[in-house]
Amino acid sequence: MPTNPSPRNPYQPTPMRVLRAYYESTDRSLKTLELSFENHADSQAFFKKFNPGQFCQLSVFGKGESPLGVASAAWEGDFVRFTIQRMGSVTKALHDLKPGDPLGMRGPLGNGFPLADWKGKNLVIIGGGCAFSTLYALTKHVQHPQNRPDFGQLVVIYGARSSGLCMYKHDIQSWYQRDDMEVHQAIDVPEETWDHHVGYVPDVVKQIAPSPDNAVAIVCGPPIMTKFTLPALVSLGFPPETIFTSLEKRMKCGIGKCGRCNIGSKYICKDGPVFSLAELNALPADI
Amino acid sequence: MTELEAKIRTEAARLLSEGLVDVVVAFRKEDAPLRPQPAFFTNVEDLENLVYNGLCANNLANYLTRFPQETRIGMLVRGCENRSVNALVVEKQHSREKLTLIGIPCTGIIDWRKVVALTGEDILAYEDSAHTLTVRARHQTFALPRQELLHSSCLRCVHPNPLSADILLGEMLPEGDPALIRERVESFEALTRAERTAYFKQEAERCIRCYACREACPMCYCEECFVDHNTPRWTESGTTPAGTHAWHIIRAFHQTGRCTSCGACERACPMDIQMTYLTDKLGKDMWDSYQFAAGMDDQTQPPFASFTLDDKKHFQVGGKQS
Amino acid sequence: MKYILPKHELNALLERWSAEYAVLAPQKAGAYSEFLPFTAPSELCLEEPHNTRYPPKALFFPQSEAILKYKQNLGQLESIEAVPQKRVIFGIRPCDAKAVTLLDTVFAEGDNQDPFWLARRAETLLIGLGCNEPGATCFCTSTESGPFHTDGLDALLTDLGGEYLIELLSERAVGLFGGLTPANPTQQESVQNLQQAAEQALPKAFELDGLKDKLDRVFDQDVWAQLSESCLGCGICTFLCPTCFCFDLVDEAQRDTRVRNWDTCMFRVYSLEASAHNPRPTRKERTRQRLMHKYSYWWEHAGKLGCTGCGRCVRYCPVGLDIRAMLRKASAYESEALHAN
Repeated sequence: MPTNPSPRNPYQPTPMRVLRAYYESTDRSLKTLELSFENHADSQAFFKKFNPGQFCQLSVFGKGESPLGVASAAWEGDFVRFTIQRMGSVTKALHDLKPGDPLGMRGPLGNGFPLADWKGKNLVIIGGGCAFSTLYALTKHVQHPQNRPDFGQLVVIYGARSSGLCMYKHDIQSWYQRDDMEVHQAIDVPEETWDHHVGYVPDVVKQIAPSPDNAVAIVCGPPIMTKFTLPALVSLGFPPETIFTSLEKRMKCGIGKCGRCNIGSKYICKDGPVFSLAELNALPADI
Repeated sequence: MTELEAKIRTEAARLLSEGLVDVVVAFRKEDAPLRPQPAFFTNVEDLENLVYNGLCANNLANYLTRFPQETRIGMLVRGCENRSVNALVVEKQHSREKLTLIGIPCTGIIDWRKVVALTGEDILAYEDSAHTLTVRARHQTFALPRQELLHSSCLRCVHPNPLSADILLGEMLPEGDPALIRERVESFEALTRAERTAYFKQEAERCIRCYACREACPMCYCEECFVDHNTPRWTESGTTPAGTHAWHIIRAFHQTGRCTSCGACERACPMDIQMTYLTDKLGKDMWDSYQFAAGMDDQTQPPFASFTLDDKKHFQVGGKQS
Repeated sequence: MKYILPKHELNALLERWSAEYAVLAPQKAGAYSEFLPFTAPSELCLEEPHNTRYPPKALFFPQSEAILKYKQNLGQLESIEAVPQKRVIFGIRPCDAKAVTLLDTVFAEGDNQDPFWLARRAETLLIGLGCNEPGATCFCTSTESGPFHTDGLDALLTDLGGEYLIELLSERAVGLFGGLTPANPTQQESVQNLQQAAEQALPKAFELDGLKDKLDRVFDQDVWAQLSESCLGCGICTFLCPTCFCFDLVDEAQRDTRVRNWDTCMFRVYSLEASAHNPRPTRKERTRQRLMHKYSYWWEHAGKLGCTGCGRCVRYCPVGLDIRAMLRKASAYESEALHAN
């Protein structure tokens, strides 16, 4: 018999406000929102729990909630960044928000990347499309001088359909100047002014052939990219326990109650969204 | 096995073994008491599980839209199912040439809930004959007059015979009395506005939004139902009055000139909600305004799906009145 | 300790409770029965051989419930407080009471407990009524429950004809039933016999031992297409199910309210993603999810089976699909497949 009748309402969002809003892509399908906390206590609670790879439910009141991966690292400041692809009614409403507009946020939700397990490892970060946003958060986290010694080599492979869809352009451009990491960017088809890789991410990964020695690979992208990148990594010699990906499912509650993101023994929102390939292989093919 | 079942199996076996159809849609032996299941037969050996009796409650035309257009379907059809098939053919949901309709003049569908109400829950076995349903319950056996068990839509049925079957099994039956359905609508129309509202609320507000009425209806085949649409959202999603009222009103209106009064919606409803009083009212209006009844042939477009320059425009100021 | 309550004293007892508690009992609602506030003994439906049509989970987890109020443009939020209410739910069947304890594992355990569930649960007593003659669609004895199972109950009543035998199962129940006559040995024995007879009268619907493994092994097999071919894809089996808990969160903008509504894996839109990808595109995958969730995944989530054998999904399926037969066929399919290999 349950006895504690008054826990906090877990469906109650934290009040937030849009700090900055800017388009990421030339076609305006991708927009970044940086949100500030209305209450300092909420900020403290958030950053106490936050870990790259986690997501939040963003609320536009009257429209509903949408689950979105966090695209910023804690050290960047007292704000939370999201990059939002315009898809349905909620993401459209999020795109319409202007600096100063109120909205709600629940989170951080989910497990995030198992950073403690990755200590001392080389990181191979592979992203495609707007799903790169959580990997951006991961890269930013690793780049911080206090965190950088925890990890070995850092390789980032990031693909987009076209240069116009590449996110975080200025920042990523500056990564080429860093001597503590390797950056590879790719687009699907050649463009006149593009002097990086051309091709699909799985092919670019095969071409670059990152070493599996003492390494973990983290893959986030559209389902088709993930589907072909995972076996490419396996054939490069990465054991399934060292390959990680983040699943995106239709989620509502974000806390393992509403049932929607259930796959076999797991709830993606609560037990994930980050899983190793070994864990995924043990799940029923319901993805 | 009844004589009629034997005939159905023989026809189904012939259609399948001669390669005239890819599938026969009929009923098979139940797992739960009183509840024969719709079934798709694709090989002759399976036909030993085919059953047909008054407890076969579903409108099989509902399954027509499950199959690709090129599938050659053999389908068991009673009067209402044949009309539903016609209405679907009119709406180009399957081409008539790909269909082989095995017609059965229908003596009415037995409402299993009426059986349970009269006998208690524990039905173990039953036998359906011309005038009597014999039911074996745990403690006693009941011989129930069939007429008292028929589903309310069947009691008002006008066209029990399949109108355009390719194969007819059984004897044609006399047509039903069209006054029955009309009288029911008229008695509803005769209520005051407040009484009509009260009745509508009493029925609609029991709704649990399971959409069994939609899924059981041959004519509800939209890829995306208006209630599932979210940009824009047309109704509240929950079981609030706003949500249930909107569902029942709009569902009924979408059936205007399309509903064949089979009653499958009410037979599927887990909450015993009356729905045919709305669709029958719309059916009566279609008849009175356009002399049209859905499913009587497989050619004529419903009035609301067709347009001519001579259309009545009585809703328009200065429009044509007749 | 077991006590006796003569049936003619039941009304007075329910009225006495009504002074302190909201008393809910199965009462006539049209052609079926439903848990409603107790009004008069003539309205009670305690003799029926089956339970209410609408599942009593709704008394703790209503089908549509406001969980948040907001001011759309101001971004102001107003929390909705879950208010505990003292209630007695009288005449709940053992399968439904057990289902409440199963839902505790979802809403009342671990992180992020659900305040709405907890508030209703904390002050509610469940007084059960055993089933002397389980119905033809019941299968509780196959699902680790039974017609006189006591999980979740504060007290269990057994109908002895002229009186009820009452088994008190919690401290709270002792306060509820004061001054009853203890049952004599004859009465206790006749209850035992009655309970045994009821259990034995229910044939085993399927073999639960090893069923999870069998289902896991046929996950990819064609059997699911066969089992679901006539499924309409409506929500009856899941909405009437006492253990199904899936829900949706929706903003009802005209009321400035965020609402939690029951949802179901049997609907196409349930798993449809914004990208138009649907991991469960047909009735085959959706039927598989319903059965696998109850008979496989529940074991892994909560160490328990997610079905109590109440039989509602069997009784009210509009195309006569019977989960008992579906499970038998799925496990037999595996035997055939293995045999063929």
